[in-house]
Amino acid sequence: MIKVTLDVRDVSKRFGDGETAVLAVRGVSLAVEPSEVVLIMGPSGSGKTTLLSMMGALLRPTEGSIHLDGTAISELSEGRLPDIRLRQFGFIFQDFNLLSALSALENVTLVAELAGLKRRAARDKATALLTELGLGERLDFLPEKLSGGEKQRVAIARALINDPALILADEPTANLDSKIGHEIMRLLRRIAKEQGRSVVIVSHDERIRDIADRVLWLEDGAFKDMVTMVTDPVCAMAVERERAVSAQRDGETYWFCSRGCRDEFLGTRGRGGEAE
Amino acid sequence: MNGTWLLARRNLARNRVRLLVSVGGVALALSLTLALDAIYAGVANQLTAYIDRAGADVWVSQAGVRNLHMVASWLPDSVTEEVRAVDGVAEATPILYSTDTIAAGDERAVAYVIGLPPGAGMGGPWKVSEGAARPGRAEVIVDRGFARKAGVGLGDPVTILGGEARIVGLSEGTASLVNSVAFVSFEDFRSMRGDASVVSYVLVRIASDASPEGIAAEIERRVAGVTAQSSTAFSVEERRLVTDMSADVIAIMNVVGFVVGLAVVALTVYVATLARRREFGALKALGARSRFLYGVVLVQASLSVALAFLVGLAFTGLLALVVPMTGVDLELAISAASLVKVGLFAAVIAGLAAILPIRQIAGLDPAVVFRRGAAL
Repeated sequence: MIKVTLDVRDVSKRFGDGETAVLAVRGVSLAVEPSEVVLIMGPSGSGKTTLLSMMGALLRPTEGSIHLDGTAISELSEGRLPDIRLRQFGFIFQDFNLLSALSALENVTLVAELAGLKRRAARDKATALLTELGLGERLDFLPEKLSGGEKQRVAIARALINDPALILADEPTANLDSKIGHEIMRLLRRIAKEQGRSVVIVSHDERIRDIADRVLWLEDGAFKDMVTMVTDPVCAMAVERERAVSAQRDGETYWFCSRGCRDEFLGTRGRGGEAE
Repeated sequence: MNGTWLLARRNLARNRVRLLVSVGGVALALSLTLALDAIYAGVANQLTAYIDRAGADVWVSQAGVRNLHMVASWLPDSVTEEVRAVDGVAEATPILYSTDTIAAGDERAVAYVIGLPPGAGMGGPWKVSEGAARPGRAEVIVDRGFARKAGVGLGDPVTILGGEARIVGLSEGTASLVNSVAFVSFEDFRSMRGDASVVSYVLVRIASDASPEGIAAEIERRVAGVTAQSSTAFSVEERRLVTDMSADVIAIMNVVGFVVGLAVVALTVYVATLARRREFGALKALGARSRFLYGVVLVQASLSVALAFLVGLAFTGLLALVVPMTGVDLELAISAASLVKVGLFAAVIAGLAAILPIRQIAGLDPAVVFRRGAAL
């Protein structure tokens, strides 16, 4: 049985009352597995950010429940939520939201200290993390001295410092150029796969579809289409499973970007396989 | 706690102009209170200078009279001999005292006028920069500051107690912001006041093994119609009179200083918090508890006020050094009590100034960090 990191069950969110009430999210369900990268896309005002806020325990659903590793976080008292946010979630924001008065290292250290780590240990851990993310030479730089990509990497280090089960990213590439944006997304994917963390990304950016395991389309507060991304074993291209050609081999299903790749796969490695 | 201090310090240092305005404004407000306290303490010091430096251990006055300023004390001549007869009294010197105006040319100034008997062992000027230390008939010793302002010197005439006297000595340390001390002969004082056989005070020097309080009590027991106090007690009474007279002014200026200081710190901390509202929101979203954020604001306000207190103290200390050099007869005495009072003021200002920004943070929705372009 696959362990579920985050389980969103039939969640709705209504703002306001009576005739002026707005239903921002309506009956959304979603289960996020460990190591999975889920991308939620949709037009402006579709409820993406509201849904992300509820997943991050920043907003309570009007209906439904949200479970994190079996705990109904939507039912927890306000007093318990800061600890959940600090230890279970890592947040990455579009505007980075780094503390402008603190250096890159201090930005990350502070969050570790908030979780109870001693100053020296927090500093050591933050240094190691930032160095691993390629910021070893930028530890003492203020955010204003960092490029957009560097700021976002500091934000990622800050999100990872308390070893969260789930990373929630809000438009993480919006303020970055295409190349850096893609680098950041590949980094998030690597973190998910190597460290077993789940990543949920809300974005308008079509260019990052290929790093997701699953792409969800949110419109008018509800999921319209669910797209699962798979990797072609021949050319390594990310393709939507629902639109891909597939083949079975030894009881396992493989998806391909084209018939050519499928044929090549079946011709060289998949003898005995069955094309769909 | 480390994180709180770090963030508060960095937030303060980040905007130097705002820090300067905040610290400068509060420092000025606290200086107002400190300087006023120091001025009144200085004036009290100056007003009690004659009592403290006259050389007496015990002051004997008319019954019920407990100080010099704004009172009249009249004792029969015979009291001096009665006091001398008390065990433990080593020396007794009668003086005449009145508050009068001393005039030289166009310069007129209020003065404590002291009539000194010939060869008085006490009650005369304690530091004479020029001329005689004891006045003879038709002679006067005036404060050097008064003489400088009036443009007179040794040998020049002044009008005092309704008559004329020639300056024979210039004393130092005998002037305050409000008056000075002038010394004339006992005979001149008495003749100018109708030759009444009275004295104002009897100054007593006690035997080396006696206590001033014990001798004062003994004098009151043995001599009828007098009040006897140790020099220290007499000085305290004089100082209390000055303090009582200035209490309302000090209270009003304290309130002004307090309100100005509070307004400056509250406004700057509020603006600083407002400017970092998104960052505080991000911290809340990341899991920082409200008490951590309140702590940051409180430490910011406290650090601003603590810095302002030090700057205000340094500024007042500088004033205390510089003012006497300008020739003004003003002493600024910074007392420990004043420091404690202004320090407590500052602490209360810091606490109150943090309330508004803390309320702002308390109502901050952490989800606000996701709202792009929203007015935060």
